[in-house]
Amino acid sequence: MTTALISHSDCLDHVTPDGHPESVARLKAINATLADFDLLRIEAPLGKDAHILRAHPAAHIERIKTAGIGALDPDTHMSAGSLNAAYRGVGAITTAVDMVIQGQAHNAFCAIRPPGHHAELKTPMGFCLFGNIAIGAKHALEAHGLSRVAIMDFDVHHGNGTQNLVWDDARIFFASTHQMPLYPGSGAAHERGAHDNVLNVPLDPDTGGAEFRAAMEAQILPAIDAFQPELILISAGFDAHRADPLANLNWVEEDFVWATNALCDLADKHCAGRVVSTLEGGYNLDALAASCALHVNTLMERGK
Amino acid sequence: MSSKSVKDMSFEEAMETLETVVGQLDTGAVPLDESIKLYERGAALKAYCEAKLKSAEEKVAKITTDTDGNAVATEPVEIS
Repeated sequence: MTTALISHSDCLDHVTPDGHPESVARLKAINATLADFDLLRIEAPLGKDAHILRAHPAAHIERIKTAGIGALDPDTHMSAGSLNAAYRGVGAITTAVDMVIQGQAHNAFCAIRPPGHHAELKTPMGFCLFGNIAIGAKHALEAHGLSRVAIMDFDVHHGNGTQNLVWDDARIFFASTHQMPLYPGSGAAHERGAHDNVLNVPLDPDTGGAEFRAAMEAQILPAIDAFQPELILISAGFDAHRADPLANLNWVEEDFVWATNALCDLADKHCAGRVVSTLEGGYNLDALAASCALHVNTLMERGK
Repeated sequence: MSSKSVKDMSFEEAMETLETVVGQLDTGAVPLDESIKLYERGAALKAYCEAKLKSAEEKVAKITTDTDGNAVATEPVEIS
């Protein structure tokens, strides 16, 4: 089988103000670095409100639909193309889940923006409008009848939105590594979910890949293993890279490869290798492109 | 948050500002794009407070007394 790359040019039409780190250039850098990869390239459809309603209330969808052009908060901006870009993101993650579960691809990467893991039930924030990965997890459960989906979020910022959207859902196990202290301030180890279905492993500033790998091996990988997921989703932020301007962790490209392989190992063990990864953060363009390329390359190696 | 340079602060001002910074980081009351700058300011404040404490530690002398309670000598104390 193969690795699917799901994206859409509409995701380049979500334009943030000059100097904003979550820029169009991020996705252009990823598109350039993946241009020669042998991937099953799929255009993301527009996601449906029914998909989003599994995670967010109708009032949130209405708020985003009617927000118009402007700032939703100091971080989070809407341009003329943002709404379509956000719906392509939802369409990408649900399509990726469909393809991997139906066996049309071994695994998949969604090259989308805006990202999603900070968007809470009723609150767009931290560059995010809809909780893409939580929507993907709930799609796998509701549309495909799965019983257990694991989400691993290695973005350097805590996935407060994903945590908020899956907190009460025992069918979803959410694990996150993130720098603490840092935005958004949540993600302490005592935040465990309503059903012990959330695992937060905060990392100290100025630590590197060794500390991350140790945390994964000691806590997160055994917990996902015990959960026995039928699908593994990855919130792939690449801002824990040492070159990233928005955080102080010191990972290198090989750390993302290691994490991808470790998660694919668990997917091989429990769910025939089913992995769907989606882009979250990563703000140094060179580090983002290099890390993302190796992440996708690893998915391809594992999907052969 | 005070924008005063850390080196121009008294120890008390630096501690108070550091507590404010930590509170803001803990509650997420700062934008994502600003969070890293706030963390770095907190780290600078922490280093400054630690240096001030170290300096004070070196100046403080513990008064030792004889069995009648009279001061007989001074020696540096360790403050942990």
